[in-house]
Amino acid sequence: MLISLDWIKDFSPLENTLTPNELGLKLTMGTAEVEGVETINMFWKEVKTVEVTHIEGHPEADKLNLVTFKLNDKESFRVVCGASNVRMGMKTVFAPIGTTLPIGFTLEPKKIRGIISEGMLCSEEELGLATDSPGIMDLPEDTPVGVDLLTLWGKKEDVVFDIDNKSLTHRPDLWGHFGLAREFSALYEVPFNSPFNEFWIKNIESMFTKDSAPMGVQVDPGSSCLAYFGISLDNVVVGESPRWIKDRLLAVGLRPINNIVDISNYVMLELGIPLHIFDRDLIEGKNVQIKSLNESITFTTLDEVERTLIAGDTVISDSKKPLVLAGIMGGLNSGVTESTTKIFIEVANWKAAEVRKTSTRLGLRTDSSMRYEKTLDSQLCYRSLLRTIELIKQLCPDVSVIGKPQYDGNNLEDFKPLVIKASVEEITKTLGKEISTHKIIDILERLDFKVSKGDESLLITVPSNRSTKDIECQADIIEEIGRVIGYDNITPVGPLLDVGPVRLNPLHILKRKAQDFLSQHSHAFEVTSYPMVGESLLKRAQWTDQLESLKLINSLSVEQDRMRDSFIPSFLEIAALNSKTYENFRFFELGKTYHFTEDKFSEEKFILGLSFYSRKSNPILDLLNHVERLGNFLNLPMDIVEKQPKFKNNVVDESWLGLHPYEFRNLRIMGKMDGAVFGVHPLILKTFKIKGNLAMAFIDLTQFEKRELKDKLSYRPLSKFPSSRFDYTVCLNKDQSVEDIFNALKKVKMGVEATHKIVDIYNPDNLEKFVTMGTFLSDSEKTLEGSLIKECEEKIINSLEKASIFLKKG
Amino acid sequence: MVEQLDSLAKEFNDKIKLLSDEAEVLNLKSEFLGKKGKVSEILKGLRNCSDEEKKIIGPKANQLKDDISEKVALKLQEFELIQINTKLKENQIDLNNRESLWFNKNITGGIHPRSIIQREIEDVFLSMGFEVLDGPHIEDEFHNFEALNIPGDHPARDMQDTFWFNDPKSPEGKKHLLRTHTSTIQIRGMRERKPPFRFIAPGTVFRCERTDASHEMVFNQLEGMMVGEDISVGNLIYFMKTLLKEIFKKDTEVRLRPGFFPFVEPGFELDIQCLICSGKGCSVCKKTGWVELLPCGMVHPNVLEAGGIDSSKYNGFAFGLGLDRLVMMRYGIDDIRHLNSGDLRFNTQFSAF
Repeated sequence: MLISLDWIKDFSPLENTLTPNELGLKLTMGTAEVEGVETINMFWKEVKTVEVTHIEGHPEADKLNLVTFKLNDKESFRVVCGASNVRMGMKTVFAPIGTTLPIGFTLEPKKIRGIISEGMLCSEEELGLATDSPGIMDLPEDTPVGVDLLTLWGKKEDVVFDIDNKSLTHRPDLWGHFGLAREFSALYEVPFNSPFNEFWIKNIESMFTKDSAPMGVQVDPGSSCLAYFGISLDNVVVGESPRWIKDRLLAVGLRPINNIVDISNYVMLELGIPLHIFDRDLIEGKNVQIKSLNESITFTTLDEVERTLIAGDTVISDSKKPLVLAGIMGGLNSGVTESTTKIFIEVANWKAAEVRKTSTRLGLRTDSSMRYEKTLDSQLCYRSLLRTIELIKQLCPDVSVIGKPQYDGNNLEDFKPLVIKASVEEITKTLGKEISTHKIIDILERLDFKVSKGDESLLITVPSNRSTKDIECQADIIEEIGRVIGYDNITPVGPLLDVGPVRLNPLHILKRKAQDFLSQHSHAFEVTSYPMVGESLLKRAQWTDQLESLKLINSLSVEQDRMRDSFIPSFLEIAALNSKTYENFRFFELGKTYHFTEDKFSEEKFILGLSFYSRKSNPILDLLNHVERLGNFLNLPMDIVEKQPKFKNNVVDESWLGLHPYEFRNLRIMGKMDGAVFGVHPLILKTFKIKGNLAMAFIDLTQFEKRELKDKLSYRPLSKFPSSRFDYTVCLNKDQSVEDIFNALKKVKMGVEATHKIVDIYNPDNLEKFVTMGTFLSDSEKTLEGSLIKECEEKIINSLEKASIFLKKG
Repeated sequence: MVEQLDSLAKEFNDKIKLLSDEAEVLNLKSEFLGKKGKVSEILKGLRNCSDEEKKIIGPKANQLKDDISEKVALKLQEFELIQINTKLKENQIDLNNRESLWFNKNITGGIHPRSIIQREIEDVFLSMGFEVLDGPHIEDEFHNFEALNIPGDHPARDMQDTFWFNDPKSPEGKKHLLRTHTSTIQIRGMRERKPPFRFIAPGTVFRCERTDASHEMVFNQLEGMMVGEDISVGNLIYFMKTLLKEIFKKDTEVRLRPGFFPFVEPGFELDIQCLICSGKGCSVCKKTGWVELLPCGMVHPNVLEAGGIDSSKYNGFAFGLGLDRLVMMRYGIDDIRHLNSGDLRFNTQFSAF
């Protein structure tokens, strides 16, 4: 919202020595964020009055003239001019080279059809004074020459503050200059001059007559109307507004239209309450009726757009048709035109939520709806009505009020001001600053609160326009004091606290350990991907989506319209992206997957995902090794097992086409298949244009969010007796795995401690491979005897033979 | 005989200097120390000496033997060293050929830049007695709005563009949504605790906003809350200043100005002096010299009550920090979309080693 300093000064006598930036900063620090400060009207110093002294036709163009004019006795200029109204002796406006016109155009030295033009004679349109103009400005005969327009028109330089609307969300009272002027007065401790006193009211009320009002008001209690004032005026002359009104509207970014429309905007910008002025001749019947629609209708608003209103929307209607969409915009059918002489002024208040609902639905946010949806104060409608009458009387002295204001709506007399009990001690304690009672009362009174001292507390009466939603309790009073004192004047101080040990919770410990291990040991990079996915990705991944219920109704794109139930599709996308750049890469993510449940709607799982890619080799075994080590590092009670038809994997759908048929292992955690390590099927890789090999691992860590994992390390005394080792080489055929050796060895009962490890694998061809095993025997009680070792050797060979694993021949 | 020994020593010293290989050294050794060597000959002659002479010559001769042995050993080591070094030179390794110079060696890894900053902040707060919490991403209207003093018709709901779920079964007011702020954890945190307590809650939040270089629909915040008796605005400023000093490693100028958030009263916006231009005004700070960093305030009594806390006895402060924004400021990242892109050209810039 734009605010004019000149306008503010109508009510708040701010020192002229304050710079625009100082004022802006003060408001930012005390009230609302000022996003920009601009000094305006400097332009009018650059354009000056001139007198045309010579006109000749352009030699190259029929419709252009070469116009010579004098700026003063010494300086004359010649420009190329296309205006048809140019004539000898004409007083008009000259913009020299270098001027930036309000329409955003900077004049540069330029040849027009071969002849240099030394600037420009301007039309009202080019000066931003009108939307359309027939020719260059034709100033009165007696206009002095060589004077800038700022001086000529008695314009003032002004400062415009751009205030962030969001920071006014809770302050309906600040949506006009009057309210903001009060803030300035309080912040600078200068008087606040309100002209709207008892005397002023009486003065305007004296214009009311005893005639019966030609237009009545009927409010249907079911509508969104809280208060509705209406008054009829005759003998209005619609015309151009005086410059001072136009200037103020232009300063805050509004286009002047005609005196009546401009007044309605002016009063809104001054007092913060929107109003609407009808051409009374276009209202049929003797009443306006405010009611909510029973059925859907179409209605053409002032902006000439046909809109569909639905049952429940509140409209103001005459006996035949709707005239205004309440609180949002008037209709095209009843607005003021140049021929209007009789008007009806509406100043009303509407329920914020209903205005917001309708304006949001229609996508129609207006100056009016923006204000109403902040919850305005019905008590102040009458003041706006009087101010409107005052201004119309000022601009159209012949105007006459017919009757007096008509009202319907809530009984305004019923209003009881809110009184808040606040303690000085609590105010100062909460702010952490000593402030005298006297100072607190002074601040509150400057902000229009009324304060009386109780026994131990202050009784604070809240002004009606601050209690619509803003001020409700002592905390709100604390804010008023704090912001005016200035939060920067509060000294930071540490609180007095009890001391106790604080640790990260198990989830965060787990997360950090996994991050450290995977980045530093596995050399993987942590990524984060979108928790939302879309159909096209899932389709490419051949992923069956079971999340219809976790679909968003207002997603921004179909690519991200539902929550993911697995990292897999996202991981494929990341791998595809990076396989173009890197020959090898490893990445991991710690994040969530989302699952629909009947009872709780949704369940979130905390998942660790890890993926290895290599263009040339197959990383699956590397990945499996890293996962195994990670499990040990995290103290996860985890083991790696093959596919088991009876136990379904919980993190990967085993029927997914993307699983490699031979590269799959379950990660069994506390008896459940809560993890998986697998290679991705080449067919899916092809769909994603990934050349090479990709392997992934996922572990569901949800159950460890609250459960700390115990350190598995333990100590055993060192044996005093030497251990013994013997090696042997066995032959495996292509259907046998090293695991078969270990399974066979597990069955052997040695009678002493035995450990078996692979020493080497020799793989001359694919048909059979030779595995050299080492078996370590030890006994913590005694030295191993030769006979016992021999016995063990035989047991091992027997057991292996039973499993069809034979010692290598020769 | 003494003179003989002295001249032998001199002779040996002169000769050994001239030798150039191992065999010559061994020959010299036997020339002097062998069974028929020069020193041995002298020692043989000792038999004929008087006891007094023996007392003098004996030790001296032994001393000479030891000297010769030691010098021979040193000379031999000298030759061996030359020999080995010649071999080592042949097998020299180029120590400049390090992994870091290679393309495509998986030698580095690293956590996400957001995780780096998040840890730093967590550790600062842990050291000051704050716990670290998190909560669900999918929330209901109660936790995201109602309990935070944002009723159904509140204009503040306009400020937060919420992602809503297709959720026909839940009643009005209980509809499910993606949390728009980490403030939901205030409610969950309060309900599980008894004052006094203090915690922070880093987490992912969602806004239905078009994505561009500075806006993301999925981003991260860090919420903080402290509840107790007699908590003041002065305390809030103290913690915020401490945090910023720890993060930016220097005293950062901050300012606190009024800000409107329904769940705090009074509410503030905390700005820090622009780190790019040191407050002089630049494009990053829109020429103001200040950058909006975190909304904060004293917890609204209605929010305390919604969290099951007696607002007449306790009060507190809360703040919310745009974690992603902070990460971008710290590392000078120009586009927020990189954070969730999974593009390793981005992530590899944050190698841990």
